[in-house]
Amino acid sequence: MKNIVFIVDIKLKGTQDEVGRWAQTRSDPYVFAIKAWKKWCEKNDCELFVLNQEVVSHETMPVSWQRYYVFDLLEANEIEYDQVMYVDADTIPHPDCPNVFEMSDRKFCFVHNEGSYDWILRSIENYSKFFFDGYMIPWTDYFDSGMLIFNKNHKDFFQKIINFFYDNRERLLKVEKTWHAGTDQTPVNFLTHMLNIDYKKFPYEYNMCDMYRKELLDNNATFIDWGYIYQYNSIPNNKDDKLTYYWMEKTYKKLWD
Amino acid sequence: MKKNVVFWVGVKNEKYSEKYGGWEWMDITRKSWEYWCKKHDVIFFPFEKLVEKDLTKFRINWQKAIYSFDILDDAGIDYDQIYLVDGMNIIKWDTPNVFELTNHKFTAWRDTDNLGWTYKSIIGYKDFFNGYEFDKQKYFSSGLIIFNEQHKEVFKSFKKLYYDNVDKFVELQDKTVRKGTEQTPLNYHLQMNNVDINLDLPFSYKLCHIHRKEMFNHNWQLNEDMTPFFIKYGYVWGFSGLPKDQRTKIISQVWEQVKDNYDDNYILNRLVHKDEWCKTTSRKFKEDILRIFSNKKNMNSLEIGSCRGDTTRVLSECFNKVYSYEISEENIKVIREKCVDVNNVEIHQGDVYDSSFKIPDNIDIVFIDAGHSTDLVEHDIRRFLKYNPNIIMVFDDYGQHDNSIKNAIVNTDLPISQFIGEYNGFRFKRINGEEVILSGREGVICNMGTV
Repeated sequence: MKNIVFIVDIKLKGTQDEVGRWAQTRSDPYVFAIKAWKKWCEKNDCELFVLNQEVVSHETMPVSWQRYYVFDLLEANEIEYDQVMYVDADTIPHPDCPNVFEMSDRKFCFVHNEGSYDWILRSIENYSKFFFDGYMIPWTDYFDSGMLIFNKNHKDFFQKIINFFYDNRERLLKVEKTWHAGTDQTPVNFLTHMLNIDYKKFPYEYNMCDMYRKELLDNNATFIDWGYIYQYNSIPNNKDDKLTYYWMEKTYKKLWD
Repeated sequence: MKKNVVFWVGVKNEKYSEKYGGWEWMDITRKSWEYWCKKHDVIFFPFEKLVEKDLTKFRINWQKAIYSFDILDDAGIDYDQIYLVDGMNIIKWDTPNVFELTNHKFTAWRDTDNLGWTYKSIIGYKDFFNGYEFDKQKYFSSGLIIFNEQHKEVFKSFKKLYYDNVDKFVELQDKTVRKGTEQTPLNYHLQMNNVDINLDLPFSYKLCHIHRKEMFNHNWQLNEDMTPFFIKYGYVWGFSGLPKDQRTKIISQVWEQVKDNYDDNYILNRLVHKDEWCKTTSRKFKEDILRIFSNKKNMNSLEIGSCRGDTTRVLSECFNKVYSYEISEENIKVIREKCVDVNNVEIHQGDVYDSSFKIPDNIDIVFIDAGHSTDLVEHDIRRFLKYNPNIIMVFDDYGQHDNSIKNAIVNTDLPISQFIGEYNGFRFKRINGEEVILSGREGVICNMGTV
């Protein structure tokens, strides 16, 4: 039984005018993530599983929520697995990135989401009020759902996430467009605590979000010398995702080509 | 007897006064630490006079690190743990006693705001430390650290290291690396000497680079609470990473917003809260009431179940008139004492579920805190809605485990407008000593209009 790295790379047919997650160019640099993770998997005796078809229509369930079907997908494809690491398609690992599966203690693992706490705290407070009856989560443990490690013990948890989505679908889709405070990430943070999921927090170096804010995304590519898994999000002036492409290509060529 | 000490660094050097926009900000931050120390029976020890006058060779940051033990010993302080605090930090009035969280280890917080700077600093000092491979995940900020007597030797050797290499350090600091003063050398020295460092406390205890974190903002979408995020969620606010000459201006603005909390005569500091007496509301609940209804002197309020009058006294700050109802004669006496300094509270002894009870005229808001069974609360909700369909209702104990209040609100379809008070996880003790943990938010305000 192997450990699995799971990536979602579903190309939606946006139009030329659309921006953000609907932009045609958004997924162009993902090719570098997939190639890099494939090589990391070979190095660490893992298997890469890329989802490139919708499980259900994105109009029914946004793509970001569909990652939680991972257990159904692996079993439907008759893939034997032990632990699974989900990573966003805008991440690249360093070749020296340790085998994270050996660090998990077989818990649900993630990395705290550092970055704009205006966004994070608004998101927490808004979902708390309108979806979770005022319940509050420890904000210093708030995680980015772009890197998660889990195993079969979490099947029930993931099913509850999917159920939560369908139970609240209309309202979730509405607030996603009005608050612009995330999709699955904040609700899954809440569910982790409310369902008492035993978790382990990895250091920032294992999912390096918002690198520009931390002055790591510089001409010397300092981020490469700092940590292990790079996420190319929240880059200012990133029209048509050109800077994401630039940095992911540059990282891939430097580390993996 | 050994006591914990806050070693507060507040040296005012006139030479640099202009660079720092004056030193008034230090007078402000100092007040917050003095208040907190008094509250937790901690010695406040200000470091204000230089040991070495030559600030080129002995920057203040170096002096605080290499002389703190000497200074305390010379002053005859019988210390247990020492919390070394840079003067640019304000501690929030209700910050827990952090000395109780250290496990008596060297305690610090990771510095992850400007990692580009940190990386350059670590690399810059690498050769000096003979190419030592520093574990970057353990790099901490030296602006807030806690240590104790067992670390005296390692600080002594750090002092020797500095004395033996002072010219080299000054060159690295001022000409070659130009990334910090004693912080990175201290990191190297402690790691190379295998000091066990506790880095596990939440960074709410060291909230710096507030602007970079975008925590000067408030939740502008809910727009219920204008309190900036750093005040709401942080314990120690470090005003670093800002233009130095703006420090007094920014810290003064923050102080204007929070200073009352550090005054023993402030109303919330004179009342009893839930952590001391389970039957009242928490300080956070009272803070929220004061904030939300601060400009409602045109409204009249009713409180049923006033208990000992702590929340009653807060209501008197907010509203034109407070009608207070309480069944216990003993409690009535206490309410009278608590409200002796105000003249807008009308106190009544009686059973609000007795047929003789009549809701006073012109009530705009009612705090329902009498019977706690779902049936009684439902009865209260229905009768007040009948009295005035637009009446605002405030409830305590919403988040208690038995859901009795919550169920009454759900059963009557009463719309929740805002959650207030303490959060799930808040602990307090019943009269019999049993510990209770809230499973949801402490209170709610209903029927005030939804966002």
